[in-house]
Amino acid sequence: MNPDAVEEKQEEGNILVWLTGFGLLMAMIGIFIYVPTERTEGVIQRIMYFHVPCAWLSFFAFFVVFICSILFLWKKDREWDIYAHASAGIGVVFCSLVLITGPIWARPIWGAWWVWDARLTSTLILWLIYVAYLMLRAQSDAGSMRARYAAVLGIVGFLNIPFIHFSVLWWRTFHPQPKVITNEGIGKGMDPSMLATLGLSLFAFTLLYFLLMGERVRQEKLKDEIDRLKREKLYSS
Amino acid sequence: MNLFLSQVSAIVWKDFVTELKTRELFSAMFIFALLVILIFIFSVNLSIVKASEVGPGILWVAFLFSGTLGLNRSFVLEKENGCLMGLMLAPADRTAIYFGKLISNLVFLSIMELFILPLFMIFFNIDLIEYLLPLLLVIFLGTLGFCALGTLLSSLASNLKTREIMLPILLYPLLVPIVIGVVRMTGQILAGEPLSGMMNWIGLTASFDIIYIGVSIMTIDHILEE
Repeated sequence: MNPDAVEEKQEEGNILVWLTGFGLLMAMIGIFIYVPTERTEGVIQRIMYFHVPCAWLSFFAFFVVFICSILFLWKKDREWDIYAHASAGIGVVFCSLVLITGPIWARPIWGAWWVWDARLTSTLILWLIYVAYLMLRAQSDAGSMRARYAAVLGIVGFLNIPFIHFSVLWWRTFHPQPKVITNEGIGKGMDPSMLATLGLSLFAFTLLYFLLMGERVRQEKLKDEIDRLKREKLYSS
Repeated sequence: MNLFLSQVSAIVWKDFVTELKTRELFSAMFIFALLVILIFIFSVNLSIVKASEVGPGILWVAFLFSGTLGLNRSFVLEKENGCLMGLMLAPADRTAIYFGKLISNLVFLSIMELFILPLFMIFFNIDLIEYLLPLLLVIFLGTLGFCALGTLLSSLASNLKTREIMLPILLYPLLVPIVIGVVRMTGQILAGEPLSGMMNWIGLTASFDIIYIGVSIMTIDHILEE
């Protein structure tokens, strides 16, 4: 890589850092100052502006894993493997955040930390699938085998999502729907100011995804570079 | 097509002959399934809980756990003495290896299930005879899905350092949809409901089977590659 290209890349990265920082700051102002407190749920409802973007971000990240896995098996290019790996890591982090913020929100509103509701259950299973994906990557040595196996799991895992969705949905609809769940339908009567804040938050988190993604990809590439240099300089003589 | 079938049947035949000679897998699977059922019987109080309500879940947990034993063996056995390499060097399609393994896993597990069912009937005091046909259909659909995905992941896990640990971790979250489906269906069958009342579950399980066999055909080449 020539120095000019590196500098240019860093410049781009800097712009994204500033943009993400600014977006997140605006989202914070929106969440904590601008948006009015929800009438029935109170101040706890503000967690939604983190919860929903985290969920969106993790699903998006898993979708990227799926696409990159297919592209990897097709093109056999290390680049796609790096993207899939980076995206899976980010997805798991934000999926964990969903699973943490969810109970914090649910406790005062539903009166329980955890309800075996369709959406909660599928998020948990999704988290397990992608934790297994990361474990698989950690278990195998770097190289084409790890990339191929991870790609297969990335595809198999994502194709499982519709099955999980329907099975969990039907699993619960045989029981009377708990009354508390209906509280979740906040989206219906949402105030424009809330909608705007949520939109802003979603936008800022999406920027954050690309920022983290860029950093992770850069990190992995540097790791490759170090490995290559080690092989060349250290073991050759 | 004929060639493909003979290749598949050669692999299935080989697995059967090995099993008949060693007899190590089938007995282990059967005893393990029995133990799982026993442990569950001790952990739930059958005088309080209705047997037909907890029974299906316990039965399927026993099937899945002992099935995992079989899956673990299926490719690890080939790794020993480099048999897998021999299989891959043979002028056969990789999908033939997959289907051969899938069929032998399916048959072993099905035979084991047929032996477990009478014991289940005795332990839980549930009369299975009158529901036998729909029950066998559901068990077949569930077992096929388990083996379709399990064979793919077992071929993948057999190359890892910690294969016995990784296979369940990879497999179980992906199996959640069919586990929910078959447990629900088994429960409804034991409650005397007709199959027509659970078409959505049958559709879900069947499409799970078909999609994962399809995905396996498409991706097995990338796994069995040295």
